[in-house]
Amino acid sequence: MKQITAILDGFGSTWLLLVRSLSYAGTLPRQYRRFFEQCYLIGYTTLPIVAILSFFIGSVLALQAGYSMQNFGTQQFIGSLVGLSMARELGPVMVAILLAGRVGSAITAELASMKVYQEIDALVTMNIPPARMLVLPRLAATLVMVPVLAIIADLVGWFGGAIVAKYTAMISIEPEAYFAVLRRYTHFKDVLNGLIKAELFGFVVVLVCCNIGLNTRGGPREIGASVTRAVVVSLILILVLDYFVTQVLMPLQ
Amino acid sequence: MNNLQQTTRVGLFFILGIALIWVTFQTLSGGKIFREKGYSLIAGFESLKELKKGDEVRMAGVVIGAVEETRLAGRRAEAVLRIHPEVQIKNDATATIVMAGLIGTNYIGIDLGTPGAPALRDGAEIRTKATPDLTAIMTQMGVLGKKLEGALGSISTAVTGDGKTPGLFQKLDKLVSDNGENVNATVANIRQVSDKLNKGEGTLGKLLNDPKLHDDLVATVNEIKGTAAEAKTFVANAQAIVDQVKAGKGTLGALVYDDTTGNDIKASVKNIRDISDKITRGEGTLGKLINDDSTLRDAQAIMKKADRALDGLDDTGPITAVGVVARGLF
Amino acid sequence: MTCSSTRSPFSQVETPAVGVSIEKLSKDFGRLKVLKEVTFAVEPGEIFVLMGPSGSGKSVLLKHIVGLELPTSGRVTVDGKDAAAEETREQVRMALVFQSGALFNSLSVYDNLALYPREHRVANEAGIREKVMHALQILSLEGTARKSPSELSGGMKKRVAIARALVMEPQLMLYDEPTSELDPVMSATISEIIATVKEDYHVTTIVVSHERELAFGIADRVGILMGGALISLGPAAELRSPQDPRVAEFLNPKIDLQHPRFKNLET
Ligand SMILES: Nc1ncnc2c1ncn2[C@@H]1O[C@H](COP(=O)(O)OP(=O)(O)O)[C@@H](O)[C@H]1O
Ligand SMILES: [Mg+2]
Repeated sequence: MKQITAILDGFGSTWLLLVRSLSYAGTLPRQYRRFFEQCYLIGYTTLPIVAILSFFIGSVLALQAGYSMQNFGTQQFIGSLVGLSMARELGPVMVAILLAGRVGSAITAELASMKVYQEIDALVTMNIPPARMLVLPRLAATLVMVPVLAIIADLVGWFGGAIVAKYTAMISIEPEAYFAVLRRYTHFKDVLNGLIKAELFGFVVVLVCCNIGLNTRGGPREIGASVTRAVVVSLILILVLDYFVTQVLMPLQ
Repeated sequence: MNNLQQTTRVGLFFILGIALIWVTFQTLSGGKIFREKGYSLIAGFESLKELKKGDEVRMAGVVIGAVEETRLAGRRAEAVLRIHPEVQIKNDATATIVMAGLIGTNYIGIDLGTPGAPALRDGAEIRTKATPDLTAIMTQMGVLGKKLEGALGSISTAVTGDGKTPGLFQKLDKLVSDNGENVNATVANIRQVSDKLNKGEGTLGKLLNDPKLHDDLVATVNEIKGTAAEAKTFVANAQAIVDQVKAGKGTLGALVYDDTTGNDIKASVKNIRDISDKITRGEGTLGKLINDDSTLRDAQAIMKKADRALDGLDDTGPITAVGVVARGLF
Repeated sequence: MTCSSTRSPFSQVETPAVGVSIEKLSKDFGRLKVLKEVTFAVEPGEIFVLMGPSGSGKSVLLKHIVGLELPTSGRVTVDGKDAAAEETREQVRMALVFQSGALFNSLSVYDNLALYPREHRVANEAGIREKVMHALQILSLEGTARKSPSELSGGMKKRVAIARALVMEPQLMLYDEPTSELDPVMSATISEIIATVKEDYHVTTIVVSHERELAFGIADRVGILMGGALISLGPAAELRSPQDPRVAEFLNPKIDLQHPRFKNLET
């Protein structure tokens, strides 16, 4: 019972935070410094890990596909498998997971410590709504940066697949052939589909992490508990949302 | 790190992202670029089969547009084709749905049409031809193959004999050696016949000399599919004929199998010259085959029929499944 | 701004001090009753000192006044407006100096002070700079402007927190134990600053403290909170000869080693 009310409470406060933050959207231009700072943290500093991970995801995808496809002699279609899986599923989900682990946890830790050390209370008494100063720039930065991360993840993943396809003996497909197949079966709408997913996941992750941070109660111990909760909730939400969003986006093809 | 530097990096990063998305868009959706430009044509089919939005439209193998929309219109299916503005399509050009691979990628093939014909305008409807689908062709090919095998077996037995009864060749051999003198005379007649053939007279002659007919024949052979139905009956007929021959019915059967008739023939072999003469004059079945133009017309009609059924496979671009099979077989 | 340069750069526009009224305020945290029907009022421009032992609910009371806590029952009004309503914070400038300072750890001392005027666009960057430097100067903190809060000692943090509150030019100033953790001289200085600020800006001041000197030195009135209830309320002078034994005990505790208090505690 307690858990159920806690979950409902979480949903409610997240929505409220979203509405509050969006109601301050007009103040974004004069918060440009914070916006750029968050862009830097969310986008630029997350790029290396996104690039490395997506490279290896693409590679391993090609490897596994090559292994299972050789049974049918259909290795030449690896490009389409890597292309579509990366664009539609793995790219966005991986970006969202990295965002939860790397950015979301940091956001929760920062906001939770601000809450525990009464900085949030200080902001409130100064009539500076935390939703405006702390949440809005992060959400805006996420919206702007996630598509960039996602497209890089897609391209790097494809590239990783191409390299594996060329240098693995059991596959041995030239990059030209790999990319020709990839181009033929991966349409821009698939990539777009993935970008929409990534955007949504990223937004939800950052919003949820902000909310959990701001709702931390108690002492410094709770900061760690909040971070753990934020990451767990983010991961669950990403995968649950992924299922439903895929269902919704499928018929729109 | 100072703020300007940070802002610059973020800006560059963002621009990089937009550029990458744009490049991806350009590379992956070449077909979509036609969406803005060009004109549209409507192609109605009984069934669009595996055709879907975004598939290519090709003329002589060159991509000239994309399928913009697929929809149901009354009792038929329609594909809206978006064609590149610089490509003109003649109003007698025909669109067909072509299978490019065994895994179900399709495109619309459009033939060139006749050079002088006026071009189709935006929104016009293009002529279409239905093509049977792959599975049906494959099944018919299988049946056809079996029947051919059976028919060929019967024919070879008839020709070479099955050990007990002498075959056509043995009989002919005997016939010839028994009647050497008469045969000599006949040969002169035959020479006359072959001259006729050379000059292109008679059905066989036309068959050997008329290039159009020859082409039709080759096309028919290459594009087995449409003929399958006719071929089935044809084979059945052939078999019936062979059976009749075996049973000793008909002239040829009597000639080959029936000893009484054989004796008759022997007796009347002196008159063989008369028969040859008759043939030359166009009397009798064989004579007709050689001399009568109406038989030729029948044959031509059958071939045309087969041809029309196969026209759908005329587009030269891709290797169709049928093409592959046909080329492998022939 | 055409004020004389000897005075502070803070805006001289008369913003009237506001009164605070607390009526039958009760607050429970679960089963714990922290405040029990507390009732008192603070006049505009007054310095009110709230005293009481640790854990008696003083901080909780202050949070109710700025609207950080919502009453279980009863009512708190600031300038006649409900303190719990968000609009009240927009209409009345209130500053709370937190017991712990509550400085923004990610910002430098200067940016901590400049945050409020920047966010509310009180002045241009030059004007803000003048205000901030003035506030830092009052609290002898000029050297710390570029430092980060984590580099400061406890006493310095407290002063920075006071400076940050001053920059807000509040109508109602709340201090939560501003002199704890400070050496005697610095706590005397803080007391003087509180009084001066009140003189200069006609701000209503509520100070939570258990320091007698501060109370007797600057308070107009003193309230004593014990166990969540207000047990004494009156002019500072009255406390020099308290009637209530609990108040007398609280103000002048005798260290009696023969009968140590902790052995008599009830629970
Ligand atoms: N958010 C809270 N949740 C539960 N109990 C609290 C909370 N805040 C304060 N308390 C309790 O209320 C009582 C009064 O606290 P406080 O007002 O901080 O005391 P002080 O008078 O020393 O400032 C304490 O017993 C404290 O444990
Ligand atoms: Mg306290």
